[in-house]
Amino acid sequence: MSGDFLTVSGLTKRFGGFTAVDDVSFSVRQGEMISIIGPNGAGKTTLFNMLTGQIEPSSGELSFRGGIINRLPPHRRARLGLGRTFQIAKPLIALNALENVMIGALLHHKSVRAARAHAFDVLEQIGLAQRAFKRASELTLSERRRLEVARALALDPQVILLDEVMAGLNPTEIGESIALFHRLHRRGLTLLVIEHNLAVVRALSQRVIVLDHGVMIGQGGAEDMLTRPEVVSAYLGKRREWKPS
Amino acid sequence: MENLFTILFIGLWLGGIYGLVSIGLTLIFGVIRITNFAHGEVLMVGMYGTYLAYGWLGLNPYLAVVVVVPVMFVFGVLIQRVLMQPLLDEPLMQMFASFGLLMFLQNLVLMLTRGASLGIPSSGRADNLSIAGINLSLGHVLAFVASTVIVIALHFFLRHTMMGKAIRAVTQDKRAAATMGINVNRIYRLTFGLGTAITGVASVFLTPIYTLSPSIGGDFVLAAFAVVVLGGMGSIWGAYFAGLIIGVTEAAAGFYIDPALKSAVWFLIFIIVLIVRPSGLLGTVGAEEVGLREQH
Amino acid sequence: MSSISGISNGSPAATDMQRLRRAAVHEPFGRIVGKYLFGLSLALVPFGLLFNDYYSINILTFVYLMAGLACAWNIIGGFGGQFSLAHGVFFAAGAYIPAQFYLKYGVSPWLTAPAAAAVVATAAVLISWPTFRLRGPFFAIATMALNEVAAVLANYSDSLTGGARGLLIPFKASFSHMIFVERWKYCALMFAFMALTLAVVVVIRQSRLGYYLLAVREDEDSARASGVNVLAVKLWGMGISAALTSVGGTLFAMFIRFLDPPTLLSLPDIGVKFALLSLIGGIGTVWGPVLGAFFIIPAENFIRASLGGLPGAHLVVLGLLLMLAALFLKKGIVGAAAALWRRVRATP
Repeated sequence: MSGDFLTVSGLTKRFGGFTAVDDVSFSVRQGEMISIIGPNGAGKTTLFNMLTGQIEPSSGELSFRGGIINRLPPHRRARLGLGRTFQIAKPLIALNALENVMIGALLHHKSVRAARAHAFDVLEQIGLAQRAFKRASELTLSERRRLEVARALALDPQVILLDEVMAGLNPTEIGESIALFHRLHRRGLTLLVIEHNLAVVRALSQRVIVLDHGVMIGQGGAEDMLTRPEVVSAYLGKRREWKPS
Repeated sequence: MENLFTILFIGLWLGGIYGLVSIGLTLIFGVIRITNFAHGEVLMVGMYGTYLAYGWLGLNPYLAVVVVVPVMFVFGVLIQRVLMQPLLDEPLMQMFASFGLLMFLQNLVLMLTRGASLGIPSSGRADNLSIAGINLSLGHVLAFVASTVIVIALHFFLRHTMMGKAIRAVTQDKRAAATMGINVNRIYRLTFGLGTAITGVASVFLTPIYTLSPSIGGDFVLAAFAVVVLGGMGSIWGAYFAGLIIGVTEAAAGFYIDPALKSAVWFLIFIIVLIVRPSGLLGTVGAEEVGLREQH
Repeated sequence: MSSISGISNGSPAATDMQRLRRAAVHEPFGRIVGKYLFGLSLALVPFGLLFNDYYSINILTFVYLMAGLACAWNIIGGFGGQFSLAHGVFFAAGAYIPAQFYLKYGVSPWLTAPAAAAVVATAAVLISWPTFRLRGPFFAIATMALNEVAAVLANYSDSLTGGARGLLIPFKASFSHMIFVERWKYCALMFAFMALTLAVVVVIRQSRLGYYLLAVREDEDSARASGVNVLAVKLWGMGISAALTSVGGTLFAMFIRFLDPPTLLSLPDIGVKFALLSLIGGIGTVWGPVLGAFFIIPAENFIRASLGGLPGAHLVVLGLLLMLAALFLKKGIVGAAAALWRRVRATP
């Protein structure tokens, strides 16, 4: 079935008494570009963590490329083609940019030489080729963000999960990143994006999924979702009439 | 049946000692989240200190508590400030540093005492029961009592004093605690001092029972870690009860297998607990995974 | 690729990029082998100089042996970031097993060394499998406990290890016995061992396993998300490390010819020593452990000789050194030298 590229059904995560993700279900078709939005604490990163296997769901099912992946460890999911970036960038500090990306490249390019070549190509796509030999600790924030993306891309993923990759970038950098993601999308990459920046959301969504307090309160086109009252109130609070006393 | 009772009997007294030795360790572990490999040597230093108080000042070893405990408190604060505080975010270096401390203390004492065996011929040794390769004495009973008193006192301290609550706040979330105006580093120093002071109490109660040697710390440190892991990192009641369990287990092992193999038994318990239920009996599940990483 | 990045072919930027790419992809194979051989020749210099000095050759023998053992530890401890205190056990097993086969059945240690290494490696992997679930310090504690248990069992089991009395290997010199009259032959043997472990380290460092080990050390979750099977990588690192350590143990056994638990399983003297040398020299670097051995072993002997009357004095110094290194010299000698070199290069 064409809808069965990446499917989430009844996904729930409870931490003790607190339900971070509550019975969320949606389907992603191959080649789609989807944004996941919602106020802080809505459970978006937890959702990602369950998709990639960092966290085990309390209940629910995850399927990817036709197979149930609940039991698969993170590195196997990466092998299947699920790539991700981390919200707090976790580069491998002691290594340089090229070596950082090599780790991902080694997955499908077994020889170190081939991995190096592929890693360099990815860095070039991202625009970090000039900084290939710089230690990760010496990179700027925006460069580290791009390095995160490069590391995920080096896996030759079919789906990439981007967790707030635009945070802290200036408008030019954001524009460049959006252009990059569009290029990758045109080549067939499926994108799942967590984002707060609404301009980015509009640019990077064929569909928007809205989470609030762990519950999916809607999904649909960007303009539609962004103007729905329940979405607005999730971010801004309920609209109240001010009555003078 | 009679054997079982004997084993339980010895085990509990032994367990009192293990609990006493481990409560300080679990406190430090639970709050500051560091591994102090030198914990056994700290205990050993306290024991030699007690012996000194006895030898130089003519103090009854049990009264030496008054002298030993404050000194140990200061010692603990120093260790935290000088060695551990700079290394808070570097677990690997912490391990190296605490191992260095272990080697330093153990051999310093060795050097100073020229390896002579010391022991206190105190009245605590007079009533000796010898069962299954373990010698029991009044000292054991006193240690058990001390252990119980300490864990209760500590419990009240942590629950009902401002300082204790600050410590618990830092344990749960040090960032949040800092935003509440708690000086986290100060709390760490205090906790290390407190943990070391409690270990000082343990030293005092152990000195009349054991023959002192610079390597005696090593005899206890693994048992202490086993107790801490079994009881749950950071849980003082866990350490207390786990101490009893391990005491009984050691007595049973000594009885049914061979006293010489007791540390093999600890290790087995240790490994099994770490694999099956790493959070221990009373610890929070998942603590050992988050373990000693920075809280985000 | 250039269409994606937007640089057109043939432009100066493109040729720059091509040059950069060549630099990135090109493996300096020749340079690596060159450095290896150069380093080894440097290490050989003391051997030539001190050839006839009985006392110094003995120390140099230890230096080479410990350098090799530290390199072996560094594979899982430095590259992999897993602070193992169990290597003393692998060392002891590598000493006891061939020694017993030699004493009881007259089998040459040359034959039993690789066999023992295989056995020890397998055991190491089996024990590490559940233990690697533990993060950082808990793993260290578990390995420390393992060392403790091994010491107890070694003391206890007379038939396997000679118990507390230990094993004495009589002096019957012959190549097949790995027992030599001339001390320099032992020295050469240890040098060969060091050369072997260094070669393994160099190969690993340039290989997929090497990069994966580094990734595991830096950030396990990140590594997993990049497709690294963290457990498998750790087990491979541990297995190789244990095998090499075992071989070192065999050589040690035939060199010193007296084995007992305090000699083999004392943590400060053996188990921690490997880690200590790696730290001082430069943990996680190729040459660090070697440098550490060259600095510390002679210094240790010197201290022991000059403060001979005071038991434990050299360990007091070592302990102090360990604390100071952890606080101030984290990158070891190699790291300090590299930082100095960068500073020198930077100043105009």
